[in-house]
Amino acid sequence: MVRKSPSGTEGQGLRERLAPPRRVPNAVKEHEDVRASRGHQGIVKGPSRSEVLGNRLGWTFVSPTLLIIALLFIAPIVLVFVMAATKWTLMGGQQDVNFPENFHKVFADPLLMDSAWFTLKYTFATTFIIMPIALGLAMLVQESRRWNNIIRTAILLPSALGIASSSLLFYALYSPQVGPLNSILAKLGLMEQNASLLGSPNGALWATVFLVVWRFSGYYMLLTMVGLQAIPPDVYEAAKIDGANRFQSFMNITLPLLKPTLAMTWIMSITGSLLAFDQFYVLTKGGPNNSTVTVVQLIYKYAFETKKDLGMAAALSVIVLVALVVINFFMLKSMGVNDEED
Amino acid sequence: MKNAKKSFYYLLTTLLILTFIAPLAWALYNSVAPNPGTAQTDGFGFANYSTLANYGSGIWTYIGNSLAVSVVAVLAVLIATTTGGYAFARYNFKGKNASFLLVLSVMMVPYAALLIPLIVWMKDINMQNSLIGVGIILALFQLPFGTFMMRNAFSGVPRELEEAAMVDGCGPFRAFWKVAVPAVRPALVSVGLLTFLFAWNDFMVSLYLLSSDKAPLPLAMVNMRQQVMGVIDYGVTTAGVVVLTIPAMILFLSLQKYYVKGFTSGAVKG
Amino acid sequence: MTYIRPTRRGAAVAAVAALMVTGLAACGSDDNSDGANATSGDSGEVTMWSRAPLERQATNAVDAYNANHDTQIKLEILPNDDVEGKVGAAVQTDTLPCLLAGDVVRVPYWTQQGVFADITDKIDSLENLDDLAVGHIEAGTYEGSKYTLPFVQDISVLVWNKDLYQEAGLDPEKGPTNLDEFVDQAEAVAALNKDGVSGSYLSGQSGGALVFTLFPSVWADGEEVMNADGTEALLDSDSAAAVFDAYRELAETTNGLGAGSQEETGATWTAPFAEGNVGVMPYPFTSVSGLFDTADFEIGVSGIPGSTGGSSTFLGGDAIGISSSCQNVDGAWDFLSWLMTDDAQQEVFADNNDTAANLSVLKNGYADADPRTQIANAVIENGRTPASVNFNEAFNAAGSPWQLLIQNAVWGDDDSLTDDNAAITAILGQ
Repeated sequence: MVRKSPSGTEGQGLRERLAPPRRVPNAVKEHEDVRASRGHQGIVKGPSRSEVLGNRLGWTFVSPTLLIIALLFIAPIVLVFVMAATKWTLMGGQQDVNFPENFHKVFADPLLMDSAWFTLKYTFATTFIIMPIALGLAMLVQESRRWNNIIRTAILLPSALGIASSSLLFYALYSPQVGPLNSILAKLGLMEQNASLLGSPNGALWATVFLVVWRFSGYYMLLTMVGLQAIPPDVYEAAKIDGANRFQSFMNITLPLLKPTLAMTWIMSITGSLLAFDQFYVLTKGGPNNSTVTVVQLIYKYAFETKKDLGMAAALSVIVLVALVVINFFMLKSMGVNDEED
Repeated sequence: MKNAKKSFYYLLTTLLILTFIAPLAWALYNSVAPNPGTAQTDGFGFANYSTLANYGSGIWTYIGNSLAVSVVAVLAVLIATTTGGYAFARYNFKGKNASFLLVLSVMMVPYAALLIPLIVWMKDINMQNSLIGVGIILALFQLPFGTFMMRNAFSGVPRELEEAAMVDGCGPFRAFWKVAVPAVRPALVSVGLLTFLFAWNDFMVSLYLLSSDKAPLPLAMVNMRQQVMGVIDYGVTTAGVVVLTIPAMILFLSLQKYYVKGFTSGAVKG
Repeated sequence: MTYIRPTRRGAAVAAVAALMVTGLAACGSDDNSDGANATSGDSGEVTMWSRAPLERQATNAVDAYNANHDTQIKLEILPNDDVEGKVGAAVQTDTLPCLLAGDVVRVPYWTQQGVFADITDKIDSLENLDDLAVGHIEAGTYEGSKYTLPFVQDISVLVWNKDLYQEAGLDPEKGPTNLDEFVDQAEAVAALNKDGVSGSYLSGQSGGALVFTLFPSVWADGEEVMNADGTEALLDSDSAAAVFDAYRELAETTNGLGAGSQEETGATWTAPFAEGNVGVMPYPFTSVSGLFDTADFEIGVSGIPGSTGGSSTFLGGDAIGISSSCQNVDGAWDFLSWLMTDDAQQEVFADNNDTAANLSVLKNGYADADPRTQIANAVIENGRTPASVNFNEAFNAAGSPWQLLIQNAVWGDDDSLTDDNAAITAILGQ
């Protein structure tokens, strides 16, 4: 970012350093300080005064950000590792160090594997449904026309809702008492009028997936659209002249050029789904019979519902944290590799 | 033939629009429609909304809580990302790359994993059950995106603008405040708006860290749903969804332009 | 010299940043002192938490007290599913209220974890201690010290819809006296084949509702659901199996158990009977007493029968204690000691058709009450309150092993009872 500084800067920095400071008028002096503060490491050994100043100003400007990060990010991360190694109950508080007992207890819980498996299933389901829909919608409404703008706005509307509030909305929508879906499905002979859509494991999964698709399609459509608009139109023109049909130009131009955007949206969707919580907390509470407990929900259950054990919850948090960092690392890396191939 | 194709297209896209709008329209309808087991049993009216208004400590408390959390989050994000973005765009300081990576690493760590230690930590720093504390935690999660966007925005402002100001006698902080910040106003609006929506809609952080009387609106709505044993008042639930949605939607629609711009200038480039 | 200005500015910004930090910290401590005020009662106000299912009774008690006392009780109602989490979070954030009422089955754990203040001396000084419901005091007794008193008694009873019984050709005045009759009568109502009407109803996904409705049938036979320490489940006994089989038979009958029984999370489990769509089912007495006057059908009430003909009830409801962080113990105790008096029990509970926690009021206070309330009161002497430290996790929590046991025993494979019972024991004994 700063490395692009024009070559003149270094010369000025040097000249400024060689010249006695008094000779330079105040204003110009400061002006040169700013310039001097970039891109000359290694040219002069030892920090110059302007370098010190640049350092100081840089740190001053960045301090609010670092303050928040130190206080609310680094400290909790350190603490989560400490807690994971300590007997620490919700109501009894901190007790003795008991490493690795919390981890043993977490791994001994049969719900762990069930929830990990369910979380993966849910992640695959949502991502493989939302991503093609988002791409299709983006291509459909990409051109800026009046009608397209209306469609686009309609699709984007659900993105304004929070996940918790949209889950509440669908909770009512799916209810046998007031929801319209039950009577429609009952008339079609697909279910009993009084049974609950959320009552069976599959029903609960797909009802939640539907909600999430509704809520997030517009959001990912928008991201995809921005990527589409970055593709220069003349590439398509050239392909047309070469006799490529729509499908061919989609496969040979759109997809490859959209790759960075697609990689980003896939990563966002996968990470988001792996950490799903609100929708299941509101819609299914993990039921029926623990069939829709996600890993993040299990953390909550350990802490507040079943074990009331913050140590176990912290141990599972550590596991989730490490797993997510590893998954993200590999996803980002594979994206980087793809870029190089292009 | 062409006409038939065209009307088919319009039919299809109209259906598409309806699919996305229908649940919202239904919530609006159901919140005023008569239903057994709700406050609104005969004819259309706003009885569900009066029930909602009187729930718990009164709806205004919860709206106030939501506003407090959101405003704190927006302020904290704007302060931190303008100064931070400026530092990363303009200055070369020791540890700059490490700091930038540190900011981005917030994105790598799932925030669900931070909530357990935060339950304990917020008490240690005397911010337990505090709306301001939750606001700043929400701000933290917006820092990577916001800093990234503000850095790019400042990089897009010609350095000569501030240099000219400094020639005119401004110090670096005045130049930052009077010249650089006004030049990145669109990015500020996008970052602020995204943060506001994120904070307004937050559920999980307040679920972990706030008591019922400090609950922001989404948490209060979820609590209210199961308030009466054995019965769920769907009327008041849908009314709550409408109240939650309307401010978010007005903001979202009126600032759509900035929203899209925000993504173009920030997220996708990264 | 030229550097002075920016440096000073830098210092100024650092100062602003520092101010921001201290400002934030100040705000944090403000919030903290707010919380302290809420529990300290300097303002003559004592905060109390109770849970949603007992909101009516709690409100009655608080209103009656506030009407003629200087100290005012401020009642806050918690959602039933979140009580454990809210109390735990409040311990973490130092925001526990002075008075804390909780589901009696959760109280042993809270007591053991130090949530309540030791009020042994105060409790022992009560003149009518021998009259008070002993289950709610025992639940909050830990290592010889007493921590809780009874707050609201909620008992489970069997209720039937007399109108539906009439239609089905049953004697509306005679409810079932054993499990076989229960099944027969439910099947007779089911055979009406009326739209939306079922013989009985079960809250299949709510462990709390299931212990409340099914345990009494086991006790009625003189059997136990847990060992005396509450560390081992005994739900694979013949008596328990007979209860599960009765419901299994209904589940296999058309209209036997209401649609949605298997998926019922407890969120709407009292609604179908209240709407007149269920023949006969175990039910919370606090809910049915409110229906006596409002329902547009006639209701019969009896104890919950076992397979051999006895009857019993689950002595549930909430016990109440003073939280260990309470600053105004005297104010809180004033409310508690008042609530235990005969007069208060009469005014708050008996006069509202609710169950008093005081035996002398139970005996003498219901002369003018609905006869069905007297029937319910008569069952109390056979009633039980199970106590175990891990009760909530083993039985009440969503997806608990007890919930899974019922799912298997009533709707699923019939042969896993021994394993499912062992899974409950594994939690109870940990």
